Amino acid sequence: MTTDRFDSGTGLPLDGLRILDITVVWAGPYGTMQLADWGAEIIRIESLHHFAASTRGIVARPPKGSPMVTSTGGMGYPDDEPGDRPWNRAASFNANSRNKRAMTVDMTKPEGQEVFEDLVRASDGLVENNAPTNMERIGVTWERLSKINPRLILIRQPAFGLDGPYKNYRTWGNHMEALSGHPLIRAYPDEDASRGPSGVPADAAGGIGGALAFMMGLRYREKTGKGLTIEVPSAQNFIPFLGDFIMDYTMNGRVHTQLGNQDLAIAPHQAYRCEGEERWVTIACRDDREFRALCEVMGNEGLADHPDYQDSLNRWNNRKQLDAIISQWTATQNARSVMERLQAVGVPAGQIMDEADAFADPHHRDRGFWQPLDHPEIPERSMEHAGPLFRMDGQLNTVRRAAPRLGEDNEYVYKEILGFSDEKYREFEESGHIGMDYDPSIA
Amino acid sequence: MLPLDGVRVLDLSRYTAGPFCTRMLADYGADIVKVEDPNGGDPARYIGPFFHDEPDPEKSGLFLFLNTSKRSVTIDFKTERGKDLIKALVRSSDILIEGFPPGTMHSLGLGYETLAAENPKLVMTSITNFGQTGPYRDWQVTDLTLYAMAGDMWGSGDPELEPVKTAGRMATFHVGYAAALASSLALHSATMKGKGHWVDLSAYEATSQSIDFRLLRLMGYQYSQKVEPRLSPAATLGLANGVYPCSDGLFAFNVLPNAFPALLNMIGQSDLLEQPGWATIQARARPDAAEEFDVYLIPWTLEHTRKEIQKAAMEYGILGAPLNTIDGLMDDEHFRQRGFFETIDHPATGPIEYPGYNFAIHTGDGQPLPPRRPAPTLGQHTTEVLAELGYDGEAVARLRSQGVV
Repeated sequence: MTTDRFDSGTGLPLDGLRILDITVVWAGPYGTMQLADWGAEIIRIESLHHFAASTRGIVARPPKGSPMVTSTGGMGYPDDEPGDRPWNRAASFNANSRNKRAMTVDMTKPEGQEVFEDLVRASDGLVENNAPTNMERIGVTWERLSKINPRLILIRQPAFGLDGPYKNYRTWGNHMEALSGHPLIRAYPDEDASRGPSGVPADAAGGIGGALAFMMGLRYREKTGKGLTIEVPSAQNFIPFLGDFIMDYTMNGRVHTQLGNQDLAIAPHQAYRCEGEERWVTIACRDDREFRALCEVMGNEGLADHPDYQDSLNRWNNRKQLDAIISQWTATQNARSVMERLQAVGVPAGQIMDEADAFADPHHRDRGFWQPLDHPEIPERSMEHAGPLFRMDGQLNTVRRAAPRLGEDNEYVYKEILGFSDEKYREFEESGHIGMDYDPSIA
Repeated sequence: MLPLDGVRVLDLSRYTAGPFCTRMLADYGADIVKVEDPNGGDPARYIGPFFHDEPDPEKSGLFLFLNTSKRSVTIDFKTERGKDLIKALVRSSDILIEGFPPGTMHSLGLGYETLAAENPKLVMTSITNFGQTGPYRDWQVTDLTLYAMAGDMWGSGDPELEPVKTAGRMATFHVGYAAALASSLALHSATMKGKGHWVDLSAYEATSQSIDFRLLRLMGYQYSQKVEPRLSPAATLGLANGVYPCSDGLFAFNVLPNAFPALLNMIGQSDLLEQPGWATIQARARPDAAEEFDVYLIPWTLEHTRKEIQKAAMEYGILGAPLNTIDGLMDDEHFRQRGFFETIDHPATGPIEYPGYNFAIHTGDGQPLPPRRPAPTLGQHTTEVLAELGYDGEAVARLRSQGVV
């Protein structure tokens, strides 16, 4: 067996580090994508006999024509066509899996566990975000893995923690947010609170948190020579994003609900409908100067001197009237033009961009943010991906490799990393460890 | 020991994104030297909520939350002596975080090249609205306009009402979190290669790349060239997905196709599985299934409290959670039992509960993370930090009288 390190030759900071990836849904995969973007060799460990719900699609074989296939909400398939292997074509997976590798093994079998142990021995880290009992069942615990590789950096991202009443409470990001209070804070004022939006910034925070935790673990290992576990419960990781609301409660007993787009101190601060279908612009005025500049662009200088709007407090108290006045103006305006004219006079204004706007955006184009990356199982389209989270020394780190197909890197992992012979490889294929298709019994 | 023990961060950032970044680095052991303007300090000190609603630079809940375990030094680095102090601090720092408009550091004579001459291993993370280059380079943002341009605001909310942002300063905090990751990665590289980096972190790009749906929808657009207006969860995910009324509030469900039989057991409707309209995933994916199924689900949710439904969902393995307000979160037994919230005693407020550590480090020696220190009062550590640079009491007094510190 060899422990040779993968070297992509990119010169990226994490070159030469190998990280096993047992992540599911969005938060975990988004975090390992950050590490992959910066040079780590991420190896997804998957099984042909188990479909992790909402990971390579919502289900393995979604019915054609169902919302699971046709929705563009990030959950769809190319041209609404799931294809023969839908798990390789799901937007929700491919969006956060670039630059990674993928292998398959059935860890419920003893020889699968041996393969897993060999991989742990040959790796620097393991990142997972599953219900703790599921991980205990397949032997992913520090007690066991530290004996195999005492230098392992183990990142565990359960929804709520490795212990406590919610240890095995399975949720998505939006449920952690519901418990934490976020949806009720952002719900619409004066409307039924159930009409409010549901998002997953908890997943975004979870991904960054997992990747940051890995970096902390790596630094700890460099200094001590020892591995460790870092526990990143997604809910706890998200709650600080409501820090100012929590402080208002613990300092003043105040409970905020149904704020919508309103700010607690400034106005105007809202989304305004513009000319066209679903065209909107947001405007925020932080002080009198910005408000006066807005009024000038609106051709309504007098408004800045009106007693109802002449200072911050009056604008805030009369914010609904003010929003109506601004909306009346924006209704006949082009959203992008409003943004540009207000930015030209130093007023924070932002068009609410849909995805087409984002890809056409001149600033993103100027900075080369969109990067071409095709996918072997989507030959019908050329595609562009979002660039990296940040840049170093002015360089745009490239998106190098398409999201891996199920089992795509089995040969590399079994033969090159683990040193198995061709004959042994065939045995693993026959015994259902290696392949590129889920078991036909999986819906 | 903590991962960042021995790492010094010179923090010139203000307001929210940069301070969120250095809050994280402080939590895991870095020594954060927060440089504030002698005339009033970090503007976040003047942003509410304030303790007992008393506006006071030492009582801003936002500032207190963002600046735990840091040291505050006041330096006017527009003065020559101030610049010298910054350079002296750079020589003993590993990371510098700044959030000024592009070009500001350079025009102050503190650009990356100048500072790297003082310390070639320096990592400098510049957090800006739109990055160091490009046509929007000098544009303004707030959390609202940033999320509108780069986040998933267009897809968030009710189809008949306006699009809605995430709450409070969430998009900005995400940028700060990204800056903490960027700084850690660059620090690792600088340590391995012996050469520092200048990190260009654009809030616009970091938000555009967020998995809070935007990254997914961008991929979806590449796959279909379609944009869809705001949709209800049921329209995207099918039946039993959305927010449901219960006897004491609201409950969010996301019932996946293969969890449907468990849901029927939970609400006592298992018989439905024998009816052709509900028997298969294909049948349940028909367009009007969601509305038809609400006839079975809503009467059940209305008969139960949020806590009862949560308990049942956990037992039956159904994805879902109650919609809490902040007081509900603070009372939740799980976070209480795990001791998540941390009481921190600040001289201006007395003991107050704060959100705890984002993540916990379990090492072989079993040392838990130490308690955090309260946010510093303005300039609290000026004398201490200048003494570390070799300035004696007399020299500090001279700098004070010159208005440098």
